[in-house]
Order: sequence, then structure tokens, then C-alpha cells
Amino acid sequence: MAKARRSRRPRTTLVILVLVSVTIITLDARGGFGRLTSGVKSVASDAFAPVRSAVDGVIEPVGSFLAGSVHYGAVRQQNQKLRDEINRLKLQGAQASQAEAAMKQLSALLHLPWIGSLQSVPSQVVNYNTSNFASTIDINTGRDNGVQLGMPVVAAGGLVGKVVQANHHTSTVRLITDGASTIGAVFGTAPGSFATVTGQGSGRPLVAGLVPAGTTVSPGELFSTSGLNGAVFPAAIPIARVIRARGGVNSAQESIVLQPVVDLSHLRYVAVVQWGPSTP
Amino acid sequence: MTASDAARVSLVVFLFVTVQQTLMVEIRVGGAHPDIIWLLPMAAGLVGGPARGATMGFGSGLVADLFLPTPFGLSALVGCLVGFGVGLATVALDRSSWWLPTVSSVVASVASVVLYGLLGYLLGQPQMLHVDLTRIVVVVTAMNVLLAVPATRLVAWALPSASTEGMPTSTAGLLR
Repeated sequence: MAKARRSRRPRTTLVILVLVSVTIITLDARGGFGRLTSGVKSVASDAFAPVRSAVDGVIEPVGSFLAGSVHYGAVRQQNQKLRDEINRLKLQGAQASQAEAAMKQLSALLHLPWIGSLQSVPSQVVNYNTSNFASTIDINTGRDNGVQLGMPVVAAGGLVGKVVQANHHTSTVRLITDGASTIGAVFGTAPGSFATVTGQGSGRPLVAGLVPAGTTVSPGELFSTSGLNGAVFPAAIPIARVIRARGGVNSAQESIVLQPVVDLSHLRYVAVVQWGPSTP
Repeated sequence: MTASDAARVSLVVFLFVTVQQTLMVEIRVGGAHPDIIWLLPMAAGLVGGPARGATMGFGSGLVADLFLPTPFGLSALVGCLVGFGVGLATVALDRSSWWLPTVSSVVASVASVVLYGLLGYLLGQPQMLHVDLTRIVVVVTAMNVLLAVPATRLVAWALPSASTEGMPTSTAGLLR
């Protein structure tokens, strides 16, 4: 009897934990509790930020040291000094080109003609894709800097994504390549050329939907945000360019594949546009 | 579980989450990164049995979920299933076997990644299957195989009272 009870205990534990998990997931997806979990995530993220920063500070020099050690082992004694000098110069060169690239991205953020008079918050990317199952970046600005949930995020060239989690000092941005991202778009010069642009996952191209079969779409053509009533992005932000378009024989829609205008895999600086659907 | 056990478990979970969020997310192989959080339920199931595996999976998953953009609670759900599964599957085995943590880490990693994507899909997140699942499985499994033995020892240290609770005496070999 006692043995049977003991053997049932793990199963009871599992059933309870599964039920609790499913309840949390369900409640999180709905209104009120979602705001609570978002608040808890925000507190955890803010509390963890100093730890992340401290560990990053330790890891970076260790990584450099290990890389240096590996290199050192390959250096012959007689030309060690010379090779060290070459490495130093190479490092300087790499640092200079990195700084130049960062400077280019930063200065490009000062010239974003399509956001017009809207204010923006320049931010640094501190983390890429914390989950293998979502295309997101973490940035070093949050509510304290004026970043709010749902705000559009842009970089030099065009749209990057939107804020899906705003903490006090950091935020998470869902990239336009994420499978959950769908954007209302316009293309071409003809009026009424509307489409949706949907993400297909990290590193994959975007696809356009709702483009009627027979519509002329050329490679290189630009898709921009539509800004229609209720849109989650302001109008005229470049999203992506057409890679290829093919009319479906039996389909009512064109099959259009697009490449984001922003290189999302090498983002270092972005700008959060202080805009919401109610902003004029 | 004593207060001291709880402190040790918390420390191990904190360590894993910190390493995952700082070091592991920086390691990219074909766009995928390792996910060492799944080692916790695997190791707890191995050294503590199904109930402890499920509890560790739920707790560590919930903490991991705080830092993930995916649905809150999904890692907890997958973690408790994996921890329970490993505990149940190994209950009749000689847990002192040197190969058991490694083999368990392979099975747990594959199961975790596939379950995570699949359950996310079933729970209304269709984009969670718009990923290269094979690549993620390979990257996650490779790293977890490397870390399986130290992770199991760490969890065994954190759950000392579990090690003797209804376990075959040979389990002690794994904990030393």
C-alpha cells in the first residue's frame, strides 16, 4: 500500500507542475497576468543587468588572453618580437575598423529622413537572440530613457523591429525576421499597392503576402511601412527589397521574397522611435 | 529539502542562468547557440529521480523564462517533463555508469529542443517551428554532452539528501 502511494507521488508531482505551467502560459497570454509577468521579467532583467555586465567584463579579457595564448604558441622564438608587433598593428587595425563601423552606424542614426520630426532614443545592442526560437535583440535603453512597449526600432537604412519588453534600463526588440512579426506595407507607385511583410525566422528572408497575382513587382523594389490607421509603425519606413517575385499558376497571390534593408546580423546601434499608434 | 539544500540549488540555478545568459548566447554556430539550462532537469532526474527531476526542471525553467522572449512558463513546462522523463527512464539503471550522464544529456537535449518548439507551436506560437530545428538540436546537444558530467556532479552536490532517497546504492558512485 505504502509502496503504491510512493510510486504515485512522482506522477502526482508531474501532473501538478504541468498544470501549473500550462496555467502560467495561458494566463501570461491574456491581459492582466501578462502585465504581471512582464513586470516580474522587467525586475529580473534590471536586477541581472549588473551581473551580466560584470561577467561580460571578465569574459572579454579572458577571451582575449586565451586567443593571445593560442597565438603565442605558434610564434617562433627568433621572430617573436616581430610577430608580436604585427599582431599589435593588426589588432589596432581591427579596432580602428570596428570603431569606424560603429561610428558609421552611430552617425547614420542622426540622419533618418523617414522618421521626420519624431523623437528617437539612440541605443546600443547588448545581446542577440537570447532564445533559439525567437529573433530578438536586447538594447541598453529602457523606460527610464523614454522607451515604451510597442515602439518602432530603426537603424541606418530602415526598420529593425518593435519593442516587446521595456524594462527600466534595458529593452527587448522583436526583429522583423521573427516568425511572429507581420507588418502592413506599401510598395510601388500605384495607389492601393498594399501588402503584409512576414518574418520567417532568424537568418531567413521575409515574405510578402496579399499581393494579387499578376501585380508587377521587380527585384530591388522597396517595401515600406504603410502607416494605415491602427498600424503599429509610422508610415514610410523602408522595410525590405524584393529578391524575387513569382506569379503562382494556381494561386491568387504573387509569391514574393524580400531581403531586409538593414543588415540585422551586424547591428550595433539602433534608434527607438518615440511613436505609438495614437501619435499623429 | 533543508534550507542549506535550497541555497545550494538556488546557487546552481543562478550559475547556470548566468553562464547561459552571458557566455552561451555569445557562442553562435550557424545562428544557433547552446542551451545549458536543459542539463539541470536532466541531472536532477538522474541523481534524484523523477519527482526531483520534474521539480528542478520546473523551477530552473521558470527562472530561465524570466530572460527569454518566448512564452513565460514554456521552459518550466518542458523542464519538468524532461526531468521527470530522465528520472523515470533511468530509475532501473545502474546510475554509477560513467556513460549515463552523457547518454542522458543527448536524449534530454534532443527532447527539450523538439518539445520546446512543438509545445510553443501547440500553445499558439506557430513561428516557433519556423527555425532550423536540426541545427539547434545539434548545437545544444554538442555543448550539453561536453558539460553533462560536471553538471551532474554540481546538481548531485546541490541535492545531497536526494542522493540516498530511494536510490540504488550504486548511485553513490556518481556523486563522489
